Amino acid sequence: MLGKLALAGIKNRRRDYLVLLAGLTMSAAIFYMFANLATNRAFIKANAVVSQASLIFGFGAVLLILITVVYIMYANSFLLSMRQHDYGLFMMLGATRKRVGELVFLETLILGTIATAIGIVLGLLMSKFLVGFLLNMLGLHLAHLSAFYVPAIIATAVLYVGLFILASLFNLIRLTRTTVLKLLHSDEQANQPKVKPFRQLIQGTLGIIFLAIGYWALAAITTLQMTAIPLALVTITLGTYLLFRATILVIIRGLRRTAWAKKHLNGFLLGQLNFRVHNYTRMLTIVSLLFAMALGAITVGSGYHRQLPMMAKTIGTYTIAVHDKTPAEQKLMDQLHVAYTATYTQKRQGKAVYYNGDEIAKQPVEQQRYKKSGQPEAHLYTQSLKDFKKSGTQDMDFMALALGKIGAYTPKILSAEQFAKQTGKTVTVTTIRVKDLQQDLKPLKQLNKLENKRFAAPASMTVGSYQGYEMMNGFFGGLEFMGYFLGIAFLAMLASCLMFKILSGAPGDQRRYRMLYKVGVRQNLMRWGIAKEIGILFLIPGIMGVIDVLFGLQMFKPLMGAPMSPYLGIGSTFLIFIGLYVIYYLITLALYWRIVLPKTTTD
Amino acid sequence: MTTATTVVDVHGLEKTYGKANERQYKALKDINFSVAEGEFVGIMGASGSGKTTLLNMLSTLDTPTKGDVIVNGHDVTKMRGNQLADFRAQEVGFIFQDFNLLESLTAEENIGLPLALKGTASKIMDQAIHEVAETLSIADLLQKYPAELSGGQKQRVAAARAIVHHPSILMGDEPTGALDSTSARELLDLLTTINQKQAMSVLLVTHDPFSASFCQRILFIKDGQIGSELKRGSQDRAAFYQQILNELGTFNE
Repeated sequence: MLGKLALAGIKNRRRDYLVLLAGLTMSAAIFYMFANLATNRAFIKANAVVSQASLIFGFGAVLLILITVVYIMYANSFLLSMRQHDYGLFMMLGATRKRVGELVFLETLILGTIATAIGIVLGLLMSKFLVGFLLNMLGLHLAHLSAFYVPAIIATAVLYVGLFILASLFNLIRLTRTTVLKLLHSDEQANQPKVKPFRQLIQGTLGIIFLAIGYWALAAITTLQMTAIPLALVTITLGTYLLFRATILVIIRGLRRTAWAKKHLNGFLLGQLNFRVHNYTRMLTIVSLLFAMALGAITVGSGYHRQLPMMAKTIGTYTIAVHDKTPAEQKLMDQLHVAYTATYTQKRQGKAVYYNGDEIAKQPVEQQRYKKSGQPEAHLYTQSLKDFKKSGTQDMDFMALALGKIGAYTPKILSAEQFAKQTGKTVTVTTIRVKDLQQDLKPLKQLNKLENKRFAAPASMTVGSYQGYEMMNGFFGGLEFMGYFLGIAFLAMLASCLMFKILSGAPGDQRRYRMLYKVGVRQNLMRWGIAKEIGILFLIPGIMGVIDVLFGLQMFKPLMGAPMSPYLGIGSTFLIFIGLYVIYYLITLALYWRIVLPKTTTD
Repeated sequence: MTTATTVVDVHGLEKTYGKANERQYKALKDINFSVAEGEFVGIMGASGSGKTTLLNMLSTLDTPTKGDVIVNGHDVTKMRGNQLADFRAQEVGFIFQDFNLLESLTAEENIGLPLALKGTASKIMDQAIHEVAETLSIADLLQKYPAELSGGQKQRVAAARAIVHHPSILMGDEPTGALDSTSARELLDLLTTINQKQAMSVLLVTHDPFSASFCQRILFIKDGQIGSELKRGSQDRAAFYQQILNELGTFNE
């Protein structure tokens, strides 16, 4: 009978339960995808060219587990907040604590198990399609990646079911320890946090010091090596927490004294935040860190994605060189957006390759000059034929146009008449520099393939900066993918954490907004008030997270050497990320409105 | 029927719950009465008699099925959306059984809420809050949060919030229901003072004869209809109390 009642209770709030279930399912799916990547030895071995990659995977796994624990904690408190009134009612009706305890335990566990099961299946599907899609979009290929991997399934199931058993026990203990009356009137009592100026000042100062240490550690990763990341993680967490504790309350108190606080619902908003923020400090800290990690990961990933072509550009003066082009190659070449192209006739004999001076005069060879610092100059330059004969023939890119089995032929430039008389194997070579590598990736890839087929190694080394791009892509691809993947996973989880924490406060707010309704507050005013309140709760960790990222990107400076920089072009990445964050905010807001706002006519 | 201006005028009010094709329940049937300016009127009835439904109609928290409710010249039944909210905020002061104070705000901020909603300048607001706090002798409680106040103190803060913006009528829904007898008596004395000194009309819904004995006129409601009416006239409160008890004895038969 009690079971039936409990089921009816769930049915009545099925939409809230769907939100909860969807959140938990997504979390399990994301964890499975990650576990699939992180525990798949063959995959890691094949792709961890950079020594840091496997380290990053391990680190990511630990972080993800921590986040999952926090996430389930908040989801669980949301569940409990929805149910405790019902449980109190059951007990009042005479159900024994033991019986209600069983119900609580089962309900949590069943919900968790369902979420885990669906999550793993979803994770499998996502691994198959989403990961493939992501890789495809990034133009990456990762070897030995399979969607179905038993150890990952086991890891996910064990972690999640384990955590849910813990959560069930926690709920059981909490419910059986609280009195029936407290359950029935579970509305939170306002405990007004006290402001102690001296302590607050110390907290604030300590917070800033900790943050400074953390940011410094990230910047000094080359000297600190392995200790940098854990050090930064601990100090930034502590620093953020202390700073939040010290400042937010004081700011709110300050605002409450102003005349602004006495307009419309502003006073109410500040009052709400006042006793909210105190309880939320820990959560806001975690969320700001998650925000930073998600944004950081995506920024780094997209940084690689955007900047590899730039890096590649400096590898060679031309994008690709085609020898004795075939009609098929000509077709592909026609698709390129050409910035500069030149065609030379070569005559190869012995160890030398002969060029026609007239051709070179008409189509000078573009060359790269380097600054004293070793940085390449922004623009290419050309020489007159006379100068070119003197120094230009030593240019590596030019020499690379004629590679033999034993290395490069020595280039020699002849006059038109001499060249006509010169004997040797005639080869025509066309160099092309495209305007934007990213734009022409497809035809370049095919051209490179055809070229490699016809001129097997080591001659294939000749084909310009596109070849360099492909090599680096294989090299950094794993990092880039990790960046995107972790970023999206962190974002999904952090926003859900925040969502559940905020939503678990909704039932208490229901009463408050009902009072405001009775007193005669316009519906619109209440809507705006809620939007502001939740907006601020989203904004605080967002701002802190952005600051964290701006400092944290220092960490990647050694990995992204010049001309790449972790800071280059981060604006668009930030915008996209913030866009996603805003979507989460809007979803939370819509749910909150639905739970909290009183219906216009009474019961 | 009244010589002075009327603050509340109710005509042929009906409220039916349930949809047309379902089993319907008539909570109120053809209610007619009015409250004059400065009058202290009680509405008495047992649980389920429809007295709270009636108050909800008067205060626009619920809409009637039929009939008119005119409060201070406004036809409440024709209002929609924001008009309703504004009406409640400006014309009506409320005191509820469960106080309905916002626990995240101090007493001062709670009292100031109706003024803040109107967008009153903060100086005028402070002045009004302190004035009303003096009247209700809660000036020393202003900085406290509701959690730090006793039931009687909470209800006095709620009363202050109800009258701070000088509404045309003060409505109480069992305001003494959650109070001990001393606090209840203090509150009722307070309501009487407000009624007399500020000439504010008071409409009190109660099932408690003691509370009702503070009124000048009492409407007895039973099964959704006004059954009878008692006027205090010149008798003192104790005598009126006896009269109410007698009336209840016959009324409830």
